[in-house]
Amino acid sequence: MRRSLTHSVLALALTCAACDNTITSTEVLPPLDAASLDSAAGSWRMIVLSGPTQVTVAAPAADTSVAYRAELAAIKSAQAHLTASQRRSIVYWSAGGVLRWNEIVRGLVARFNLPPAPRADGTYPVPDPENPFADPQFPFANPPYAARAYSYVAVAQFEALKTAWYWKYQYHRRSPAHVDTDIAALRPLSDLPAYPSEDAVISGVTVELLKVLFPAAVEEITQRAAEQRNAALWSGKASSSDIAAGLALGKAVAAVFVARAGADGMKNAVGTPALWQAFADSAVAHGEIPWKSQESPPRPPMLPNFGLLQTWLMTPTDVMAERPPAPPSTSSPQMQLEVAEVRRTVDHLSGTQLAIAYKWNDGAGTYTPPGHWNDIAAEYIRDARMSEVRAARTFALLNMAMHDAAVGCWGVKYLYFNPRPVQLDPNIKTMIGLPNFPAYPSGHSTFSAAAAVVLSYLFPAASSDFDAMKNEASISRLYGGIHYRSDIERGKEHGARIGGYAVRFAQQDGAN
Amino acid sequence: MRISRVLLLLIAPATLRAQTVDDGMLFPRRALSAGIVYVHEDWSQYWEGTLKRENGNIGTVTTQRVSWIAGYGVTDRLTVMVTLPYVATRASQGPLHGMSGVQDFMLAAKYQILATSLTDRGTLRALIVGAAGIPATNYTPDFQPLSIGLASRQVSGRFTLNFQARDGWFLNGSAGYTWRANVKLDRPAYYTNGQLYLTDEVAMPDVVDYSIGAGFQHGRLCIPVTLSQHRTLGGGDIRRQDAPFVSNRMDFVKAGAMVMYRGVHLGASRIVSGRNVGQTTEVTGGLFYTLHF
Repeated sequence: MRRSLTHSVLALALTCAACDNTITSTEVLPPLDAASLDSAAGSWRMIVLSGPTQVTVAAPAADTSVAYRAELAAIKSAQAHLTASQRRSIVYWSAGGVLRWNEIVRGLVARFNLPPAPRADGTYPVPDPENPFADPQFPFANPPYAARAYSYVAVAQFEALKTAWYWKYQYHRRSPAHVDTDIAALRPLSDLPAYPSEDAVISGVTVELLKVLFPAAVEEITQRAAEQRNAALWSGKASSSDIAAGLALGKAVAAVFVARAGADGMKNAVGTPALWQAFADSAVAHGEIPWKSQESPPRPPMLPNFGLLQTWLMTPTDVMAERPPAPPSTSSPQMQLEVAEVRRTVDHLSGTQLAIAYKWNDGAGTYTPPGHWNDIAAEYIRDARMSEVRAARTFALLNMAMHDAAVGCWGVKYLYFNPRPVQLDPNIKTMIGLPNFPAYPSGHSTFSAAAAVVLSYLFPAASSDFDAMKNEASISRLYGGIHYRSDIERGKEHGARIGGYAVRFAQQDGAN
Repeated sequence: MRISRVLLLLIAPATLRAQTVDDGMLFPRRALSAGIVYVHEDWSQYWEGTLKRENGNIGTVTTQRVSWIAGYGVTDRLTVMVTLPYVATRASQGPLHGMSGVQDFMLAAKYQILATSLTDRGTLRALIVGAAGIPATNYTPDFQPLSIGLASRQVSGRFTLNFQARDGWFLNGSAGYTWRANVKLDRPAYYTNGQLYLTDEVAMPDVVDYSIGAGFQHGRLCIPVTLSQHRTLGGGDIRRQDAPFVSNRMDFVKAGAMVMYRGVHLGASRIVSGRNVGQTTEVTGGLFYTLHF
């Protein structure tokens, strides 16, 4: 008896102690060996720029020039003394700059996705871009803010890379490792012309946008960008003039997008107390129960004017035309049924349903639903071995659709100012955090349907998977107790219509 | 009916007071003690990192725990114990749903490696304890602070010194180290300790704890007083206005006292300082019966 008990304690102990506790924080990505060079990408349709020559890149020095020879010698000397950490950054960045930066931006969103804490007097401070390091930090990277941030980075990278491709095939300068056999190719080397360096283009355009979107992370962002350029040089992929030209091009394209971001309506998205009251008054005037913050102390609603932001692929008329119909009246029998369904669902949740609620929660402190869909897309981009410019196109289409979905959805949320289930039935308790903005329609459903439509077009073999994920993400909000079924259904329809704009753009942008 | 009558008849003189893994007590050989312990914990203030605060979105968080505990004296020097708690949580304010369910099954073995008389004043004993815990159900650890536990498999080793004076006073010192296995979440990514992790697995830092205790035992009465410290060796702080996370650096110092008479235990404790934990006040009551074979 004694022996067997001791043995069972020991056995339990060993099963646990033998666990490997190591966690890899970043995505494990193979070195990018693109399936296609996409050599025609310089002619793909632009979205914001007028064309690939809006930013010009001067011709590089000849391969035989003294200056270029000196650049090659510098690479050789660097390669002779690579440290372990330099080799690690070569491996890290060889996965592709577009994928890596997408991952970094997801980390920034998660870091900054926290609402301000209340003051002692029960009011809330507003994050201030002029004072980003204070408490509250700037930004509060909530889902609409995040959707916009992902889209600015993706679209700017895409436009900059199309421009880079155009100039690459104007000048046809080869990579240092191709020009000089004494230079090792420390990452897969294609026949893509090296000038201007796409790594430098991506680093330049991304860092300038991120400085505006996440100013408090400037130090980290700048270091990562420099590391990316150095890795391109150390790996024999780009010379210092390839990099300088790419960096200048990236920054020039970034300036266009920084100017757009300054005037796209984000500055006024928070609104004013008078505006918040006007939403409530309007709902009452229509005979409806207005949304009320369930937080304590009550928090102003999230970004009420986000619905007025500039969209990427829709006109303001399109935005209005695609809006879903009004939700069931708060006093209707239909609404009573829907409230009852939420309560019944939450009180009889299965383990599987609860797991789905947490899988798609993507609430405060996370990379948000748009970040979740970027996470999903990244795996398909990796598996398809997309070139940098095609990877950028994929993220641009996905994130333009989700930004436009955020604008569309937020406009409707504040048009109807519809209360959450817990407001109509205080006996309902939620399994996940309750978002502090009106219910109708569901943001998760709108984002997810827009994303699924775009990804299904780009990766048709997986369309049924995207459809299943969209449905799961959407219904997770009913399981969590924070949305009615009609929020979800109308949200999905709305999101799918908005995603259609990105699909129609992709069908004729010259990339197929 | 018949069984309960037998149990009542077999209730032993309450000289048995071993009920936790860190006390210095052992059961006599072939004594089986089993019981139910009820614990009521609540807190309205918590430490967000090192910042002490309240939160109107949860108000007071209450945790009720009913544990089934059993111990058996395999020999006079070896006691094995099992515990299985049912836990229910709720928040007094805000929309969040409470959670409930069976939490972690724990198995422990206490072994006395030394027992020596110090002159004629009393007995000094040294014990080692090995324990292992495993979640008994697949409850989620991803709804802190309302999750019923951390859902981590764990093993711990402990060393305890106990001095029992002949006049009834006793002193107790204990130090333990707990290794914790990774925890799996239902989501593919999370942010903690300044970093985004693109995985559903969470590394759980190990935990050390120390306690010192003193008390008095006379006949069937025993009154121990304990001060314990619990330190997590890693993990991130709760960020400003964020929810707690399963692998947070949870530290606390707790003071507690207990009165045991016959098979009835009553106790209370309070966390006096902490980090990433609630300032918990705990009240506990237990009923034990003992069978001698």
